[in-house]
Amino acid sequence: MDETPNSHELFLFLASTAHDMKNSISVLSGTLERLLSQSPAQQADAQPEAASAYPQMAQMLYQTKRLNDNLMQLLALYKQVGKPEYPFDMQPLELGQLVDQVVALARVLLDSRGIELELDHDPSLIWHLDEDLVVGVLSHAINNASHYTGNRVRLAIHEIDGWLELRVEDNGPGFPPALLKAGAIAGRDSVGGVNFLTNSAGLGLYFSGEVARMHRHRGRHGTLRLENGGKFGGGCFVLRLP
Amino acid sequence: MSTATSLPAAAPAAAPLRSVAPGGADQIDWADKNYLIVDDFVGVRQLLRESLRSLGARNIDQASSGGEAMGLLARVRYDVVLCDYNLGEGKNGQQVLEEARVRHLVNPSTVWLMVSAEKSVESVMGAAEHQPDAYLIKPITEGVLLTRLNRVWHKKQVFRLIDQAYAEKDYLRAARLCDAQIAASRVHEHDLLRMKARLMERSGQPTRAREVYEQVLAQREYQWARAGLAKIRLANGEFEQARLAFQGVIAENRYYIDAYDQLAVSYQNMGKLEEACAILERAAKLSPNSVPRQRNLGNIALKLGNMPLAEKAFRKCLAIGEYSIMKTPDAYLGLARVYGQKNDAKEALRLLLVAQREFAQDHPDIQLRAKITEGLVYHESGDFRRARKAGDDLEAMLKATPARPDVASCLELATLLFAVGVKDAPAELLCYVIRNNHDNPLLLDEVQKIFDKARLSEEGTAMILASKKEAADLMNRGVLLWKTGKLGEAVDWMRDAIKSVPHNQRILFNAAQIMVSHLQQQGYDAALAGEAHDVLLHVDHLLPGQQRFAQLMEQLTQLQPGRVDGSTDDGDSAQTDAPSTR
Repeated sequence: MDETPNSHELFLFLASTAHDMKNSISVLSGTLERLLSQSPAQQADAQPEAASAYPQMAQMLYQTKRLNDNLMQLLALYKQVGKPEYPFDMQPLELGQLVDQVVALARVLLDSRGIELELDHDPSLIWHLDEDLVVGVLSHAINNASHYTGNRVRLAIHEIDGWLELRVEDNGPGFPPALLKAGAIAGRDSVGGVNFLTNSAGLGLYFSGEVARMHRHRGRHGTLRLENGGKFGGGCFVLRLP
Repeated sequence: MSTATSLPAAAPAAAPLRSVAPGGADQIDWADKNYLIVDDFVGVRQLLRESLRSLGARNIDQASSGGEAMGLLARVRYDVVLCDYNLGEGKNGQQVLEEARVRHLVNPSTVWLMVSAEKSVESVMGAAEHQPDAYLIKPITEGVLLTRLNRVWHKKQVFRLIDQAYAEKDYLRAARLCDAQIAASRVHEHDLLRMKARLMERSGQPTRAREVYEQVLAQREYQWARAGLAKIRLANGEFEQARLAFQGVIAENRYYIDAYDQLAVSYQNMGKLEEACAILERAAKLSPNSVPRQRNLGNIALKLGNMPLAEKAFRKCLAIGEYSIMKTPDAYLGLARVYGQKNDAKEALRLLLVAQREFAQDHPDIQLRAKITEGLVYHESGDFRRARKAGDDLEAMLKATPARPDVASCLELATLLFAVGVKDAPAELLCYVIRNNHDNPLLLDEVQKIFDKARLSEEGTAMILASKKEAADLMNRGVLLWKTGKLGEAVDWMRDAIKSVPHNQRILFNAAQIMVSHLQQQGYDAALAGEAHDVLLHVDHLLPGQQRFAQLMEQLTQLQPGRVDGSTDDGDSAQTDAPSTR
């Protein structure tokens, strides 16, 4: 509340800079998706040398998506560090529509890496959530899983005891202990500063934890946890919303 | 990472990818639509165009600025507009949307998607008059675009008849259509309930609106429903409870900007201008690009004598207004007052000239209002000779035409004229105000105070009484004719009554009622129905949210011959009431 006029000016400047960066990233990831959506075989027919570039382009797309996620998360969070301020906007949404968007965001990347996405949800179930935030968190989790999984990722969403549990599971080696610990911190009620941001996954986890907490209903709020196991025995990213 | 095997099937066995359109049956053909893409960044335009092309779209126009977009919108009817919020210099996306809607350059069926780099505060407030159909955050991929397009399309189908009834101001029919749709489309239940509550408010039935809000809150804590309950309290004059409720909404979601504006109104009604000013200042910081908000802030700051803040708000108002169809002369007039207080009459007059030049077309009363402000500026800066001169000019202007400005301007004008020593014109003006508002006790008090201040207490009281009686007699005579079955004469009488007292809502309502009676008993007549319709629209403009308005509008629509109305009557529509007397 006690912003100085200076910080307001700075905010406007940062916002316009971020806007510009977003444009560049949009074009970058859009172009990559377009190139990648032609199958490697097709490309090989046209230009043999393009086929060898295919895995590298997939890697570029993965990195571009990370860049975009980080930027979006920073934009939502930095306004007051440690106290997320975001125009939260809850709406009723059919899970089918939520999943369609997550799948659409992840499809090209997963295809390019030969990863199979398994879906398990009731498309007609309606839940109340901030669509942009939850789509962002889930596609970030899938993006992340695509990097560490073997060849499968599973998105499972079910209602359990009045909660909506959204799980992103993979068949990779699972989360290392340090990340499980960071996940436990991010999932806690109050985050003591940002000192857990020591590993590269910090921002995404922190953001996802905040998104969970912003969803409240009748005195309960959402939670986030990381675990190993699930259907494939790999890493599991578990978001629970009231 | 494992080695990539051959491409997996796009749709895994566990749950095949469903068609994005609910039900799949109502798949929409997006190929044949006309599209407009508005973005100042060429790369983004190309990207969006590619995305649309892969949906099959062929007719895609592009604009790189708000101005260019307006040019295209004026020539082509688009089915879908993808518009970036930030467009660099000139109009922003919201201003393009507002102008397109106000100038009717888009159809009600047009899908308007607002695109931005980050979630905007404006996307949450929900109560703004001109909202896009959806907000999209960059980067936009084909899948997200298609999902949102389909959803908006489906919602528009659900709302098509409701929106049409709403546009025709037949609020009771619209509410019945909402009820019918709620059962059929569960996904849109909340949107339909929200619309229904709004319709109940518009038709003067706050109790039923409250029931709808409580029904929603029993399911989920939606701040728009909380704010709805608070607004009913505000309208009911329960200002303290309204204040608490709006503060509760802000505590839950500090980006629910509409609650700030309403909280300020609550404070104003309690006479707490300082608090109203402070809350508007906070709102303007969170969402600075609203002309009405900056104008309200400027006016309150002006009343409080906080000239730096008033100047800042009015200047911002001018800056936003430069590219906006929502711009108003108020900011110029307010800013002129600020300069008057700063003893810079020259700059004040310059601003008044600009205002008269800019708004001559759309605001026929701008000359009068500018002259009032000129008088106030001279009066407040102690130049009594020039203030009196302005007073004489105003008197001459009033003599030249029977048209009078709105009530607030009339009161301001009468106060000024008394202050500069003009006697008859302000008294006549105040009588005019009373005749047009003879049953509004708050306004009567306010008028009496103006007489008191001019040391005309007794004369004022007598004039107020006489004016009240004049209006009541006009009305009662019409009702008497109606009661004695002289319908034709009653209609003629009320027609004349409206001519001599054009803005009295009770006279207007009775006139409409008598006209409807005439139509019901002596057969439908398109000219008379049109006349009744105009009378009702005028009274709704003067005082929105009256139950009589909703009922009469409904009766009038039902009288229209050959009208096919799918909705059933559930007893909402009242019998034809007798016109009321007082």
